[in-house]
Amino acid sequence: MTIEKPEMIEFRDVHKYYGDYHALRGITASIRAGEFFSLLGPSGCGKTTLLRTIAGFEGISSGAVLIDGKNMAGVPANKRPTNMVFQSYAIFPHLTVEENVGFGLRRDPRSKDEKTRAVAEALEMVGLKGYGKRAAHALSGGQRQRVALARALILKPKVLLLDEPLSALDKKIREQMQLELIRLQREVGITFVLVTHDQEEALVMSDRIAVMFEGEIAQLADPETLYRRPASRKVADFIGTMNFLPAKVVAEDANHTDVEVAGFGRMHLSKDQVMAGNGGEGASVGFRPETLTILFDGQQPTDRESMGTITEVVYYGDMTYYDVKLDGTEEPMRISMRNVFGRPVLDIGTRTRVAWSPGALVLFR
Amino acid sequence: MFKGGWFKLYALVYLTFLYAPIILLPLFAFNDATVIAFPLSGFTTHWFTEMLADPTLKQAVKNSLIIAVSSAVIATTLGIFASRASTRYEFPAKGGIMGLIMLPLVLPEIIVAVSLLVVLLGLGVNLSILTVILGHVLICTPFTIAILSSAFQSLDKSLEEAAYDLGETPASTFRLIILPLVMPGIISSLLISFTISLDEFIIAFFLAGTEPTLPVYIFSQFRFPSAVPVIMALGTILVCLSILLLTIAEIFRRRGIAKSGGKDTGGFL
Ligand SMILES: Nc1ncnc2c1ncn2[C@@H]1O[C@H](COP(=O)(O)OP(=O)(O)OP(=O)(O)O)[C@@H](O)[C@H]1O
Ligand SMILES: [Mg+2]
Repeated sequence: MTIEKPEMIEFRDVHKYYGDYHALRGITASIRAGEFFSLLGPSGCGKTTLLRTIAGFEGISSGAVLIDGKNMAGVPANKRPTNMVFQSYAIFPHLTVEENVGFGLRRDPRSKDEKTRAVAEALEMVGLKGYGKRAAHALSGGQRQRVALARALILKPKVLLLDEPLSALDKKIREQMQLELIRLQREVGITFVLVTHDQEEALVMSDRIAVMFEGEIAQLADPETLYRRPASRKVADFIGTMNFLPAKVVAEDANHTDVEVAGFGRMHLSKDQVMAGNGGEGASVGFRPETLTILFDGQQPTDRESMGTITEVVYYGDMTYYDVKLDGTEEPMRISMRNVFGRPVLDIGTRTRVAWSPGALVLFR
Repeated sequence: MFKGGWFKLYALVYLTFLYAPIILLPLFAFNDATVIAFPLSGFTTHWFTEMLADPTLKQAVKNSLIIAVSSAVIATTLGIFASRASTRYEFPAKGGIMGLIMLPLVLPEIIVAVSLLVVLLGLGVNLSILTVILGHVLICTPFTIAILSSAFQSLDKSLEEAAYDLGETPASTFRLIILPLVMPGIISSLLISFTISLDEFIIAFFLAGTEPTLPVYIFSQFRFPSAVPVIMALGTILVCLSILLLTIAEIFRRRGIAKSGGKDTGGFL
């Protein structure tokens, strides 16, 4: 239901070499105004490098980076309408919290009073009201993070860049900060570009995500599409868990593809379930663990049903993960079940019925 | 137990050997006799007053101070440039160049002094305070680089980037962020090179011409037995001054590391 927003950042075939090393290999993408955008990928894929080309810390070898329609070639970092929250937070240790937050206002023509008020507002926004006079080097990780946010947001940049801002925090505070960042982004309406290698974090926080591998964007989509319709096996593997089974394409027309999968039989798939990118290994189908359901006594499948044997049980409290080897398949499939009240946890070796639906799977070829 | 005993004994002998002669300095500086021998004959401050009245000594002190202050300032300035360059930028033959700059640290001073003398005389330069400053800058610079590199090294690069990002120019970033954070290192470098220059003898002896520095003056006075107690008095003052300056230098170096949030990787003291 969202109206297509104008583009805030545009990459046009951006390449970056570090000596002989090809770190960015033709990035073409755009980031919309006011969206929470994430760059997600494994370590060393070039996320930080791409972020730094927006900030102006890293020059590009070819291509163009545009911010709000302006080509940034030759524009230095201190003249770009972007601000950055660094992974190490980069809080100036010899200044107070207040001086840190107000640092970017030095060249601002406003009066001293107005600046003081702006600093106080910024501190309040990040939940650090009354911390202004503290020495910056005496803050906790979470507090530093907030100071870094306030310091960057006080300049009202067009784009806020965040390089793994939560990776140094422990799990509880990280989850709390994730929600707070989302709230903050909605409040200020600034375009956020977040770098992360944590797929869960990206799914939770982003409007759209670019998944990167080895200097290239493998898929750019909203979290749901990314999860339900990953564009390649590699993306599917990186985001969440997916069961893969070898498949054989038996018939094909303009809108449908028919496949034969051992243990599941013949299936009639619609076009939007068919992806390229199986990595040249023939074809395979993928199931997410929650799209398969173990049927308990008396339950009826909504679509199809197979028989299998439980080979592994992993209990997580709210969930149980079962590995089930379906009759006729080679490898066990991972199935996740919510531990609803009154439902038993099954044992290894139990024979069980499994419900599934061809509509939930994705074909990679 | 037994092992610990031997170590204690070793430490005791070591420290006695190191500090006993220095403790003798003030002992004889306040002793009422021209001969340096036990038993002590009485307390006097005579040697200190005599010291203050000597015009050649005053001139030597003045020369030494001029040389030490100039050498400290010049060597530290050079050290700032070199450490900044070596810790932040990559350039061809960096290792080789830095090695050459640090070489005087291990080169015998007498070799440095003699070669400088030959070159300066060959060039027809008159020996003066300036030539001593030149020599002292040469031997102090490696020390300043060693101290300042550790200060620049412990500086997180993203601090600089954050300052650019917030609208500062490279020059104002240097002034507002880098300089304050390495200031303790700079002060400690100034103090240490000042101390090195102040009691350096060989280069000063070779290059001073007719302008003796304090150590050269002291050496020349040892020919006259009557002057020895005065030298003891002077030595007492110098030892106190050196200890004071080195302590201040180390305090500043440690404070610098604590401030920029780095880990102490061991300094000079
Ligand atoms: N200054 C540099 N000189 C040479 N190579 C570099 C430089 N910076 C990054 N690289 C290389 O470029 C690649 C991408 O680096 P980048 O920092 O963008 O990775 P990343 O995706 O942010 O990874 P991480 O999750 O580990 O931070 C890496 O292989 C890295 O070794
Ligand atoms: Mg990174």
